[in-house]
Amino acid sequence: MVIRFWGVRGSIPVPGRATNRYGGNTSCVEVRPKGEPPIIIDAGTGIRKLGKLLLEEAFGEGRGKASILISHTHWDHVQGLPFFSPLYRAGNEVHVFARERDVHLEAVFSQQHDAPYFPVPLSAMHATMQFHGVSEGASFDIGRAKVTSARLNHPSVAIAYRVDADGASVVYCSDTAPFSDMILAHEFVERPPSGILPLALLEELAEMRAGVVALAKDADLLIYDTQFTPEEYRKQPHWGHSRPDDAIEIAMAAGAKRLCLYHHAPMRSDDANDAILAGTRAAALAAGARFEVMSAYEGLEVTVGDA
Amino acid sequence: MKVRFWGVRGSIPAPGPETNRYGGNTSCVSITTATGGLVIIDMGTGLMHLGATLMASAFGKGAGRAAILLSHTHWDHIQGLGFFPPVFVPGNEITLWGPGGSDHVLEGILEGQMDPNFSPLQTLKNFSASFEIRAVQVGVPFEVQGLTVTARLHPHGGTTALAFRLEEAGRVFVYASDVGYADGVPDAESIAFYRDADVLLHDTTYKPEDQATRRNRGFSAYDEACAAARAAGVGRLVTFHYDQDYTDDDVDGIVASCRVLLAGTPIEVVPAREGDELLI
Repeated sequence: MVIRFWGVRGSIPVPGRATNRYGGNTSCVEVRPKGEPPIIIDAGTGIRKLGKLLLEEAFGEGRGKASILISHTHWDHVQGLPFFSPLYRAGNEVHVFARERDVHLEAVFSQQHDAPYFPVPLSAMHATMQFHGVSEGASFDIGRAKVTSARLNHPSVAIAYRVDADGASVVYCSDTAPFSDMILAHEFVERPPSGILPLALLEELAEMRAGVVALAKDADLLIYDTQFTPEEYRKQPHWGHSRPDDAIEIAMAAGAKRLCLYHHAPMRSDDANDAILAGTRAAALAAGARFEVMSAYEGLEVTVGDA
Repeated sequence: MKVRFWGVRGSIPAPGPETNRYGGNTSCVSITTATGGLVIIDMGTGLMHLGATLMASAFGKGAGRAAILLSHTHWDHIQGLGFFPPVFVPGNEITLWGPGGSDHVLEGILEGQMDPNFSPLQTLKNFSASFEIRAVQVGVPFEVQGLTVTARLHPHGGTTALAFRLEEAGRVFVYASDVGYADGVPDAESIAFYRDADVLLHDTTYKPEDQATRRNRGFSAYDEACAAARAAGVGRLVTFHYDQDYTDDDVDGIVASCRVLLAGTPIEVVPAREGDELLI
């Protein structure tokens, strides 16, 4: 199974010289089980260039099939979808998986294409699109791959995915706050919380953390939200993102074999990302971690298991 | 008027080394008036970087005042709004003027962007600054930050967008992005609107060969922009809203081609480039 990174950035795309090496596109990762159609995780702006490349395969002839797993529908995870070229070819088949809502998923995704915002309505895209609601913790098969999911700690709730195929596994864990200070769900939280969390909420957080650790159990590659520095987290714990130390802690608890830092803050320069990677490697060593630490950049390709 | 370019790209931000020189951020232009007023046109991702700069000024202390002119509500013209730090500082006062015909229709469209399905902000009401939304009355001049502004609806594929004509002490800046003329021929009303502008910023999304298959998308090719500039007798033509797939070298080609097309006229061609400034 090959994993390719097309967008590694959080919040908003950031073009410019300061992001040339890591890349400025928002979240998108391609997972390719051997000989299988692509399983794409998140549809940030990175999916645009992936779509162009896919046109060189069966998608160019309207015979392509792809699955897209959406962690959540915040803009930085869906805004590339209207620019995903295979959707404009009749005959292509695209399955979109996202967390089940009380409204039809198709209605949620259609809104991005509404006339005030985009010239082409979703209904005018010629590929066959099917939307599949995923409940937190659900597992399902895509071809020979097995997909499992777990709830994350993020405003409006995000879900993590694990893909098992070719005797190996990759876990995508973005976006999430650590499971310690507050629970993020559907309420708007204006400022950091104060005071001590009630026991019931602490138990709920512990359960959420256990779900993520179980999902990442022995993963060959764990991709984890590390948007924040400790200083940034102190100021914005309610924004729903983690620090490198949180990623190390979860990776160690799960026994992951490789940890990949992901969902870089928009204003983080390449040099700053280099420094965070070096610091995280040192911290992982000091903590006694045995796994390798890498940082996601556009174009990074990782092979796990058979390929 | 001092014009500065923060985002010059169309449709979707285009990060990568191949767009470093002209920039990959979507549409955003700022105008500083002779009296220090601030007018912003369009809210693409360039707006985030303008906002970061403004935080070092009165906007960081909650004493900033600005007007935003919005050409239309396609993503590439609004996606920077939630990342514009001045809206989160109490005391700042920002008035947005845009299309939609009525204040509440325009507000509803901008609210849709902040919908909890898509944005952690959940609603515009979570802005701490005063953020007033006003629908423009097309053709009726209005005053913002000491400038006189006139708006005009022009065709943009299946919809329309606003063009803006800004005047200060006899100097004129026209912003005409996202326009696709019928059969690619600038119409008389458009030309009248651009007439004698000191600077015409015009949609140059495409090369003519790409425009041929994409005319229904509602953008201009550079030769159409040159035709408009020539017919209107403007002083300078600013190229703008480059296609997301064009590299810096492609844009170099667009600029060079405009200079060839306008050779023998007094019209100067100025490419919009992130970070560049233009004094009018």
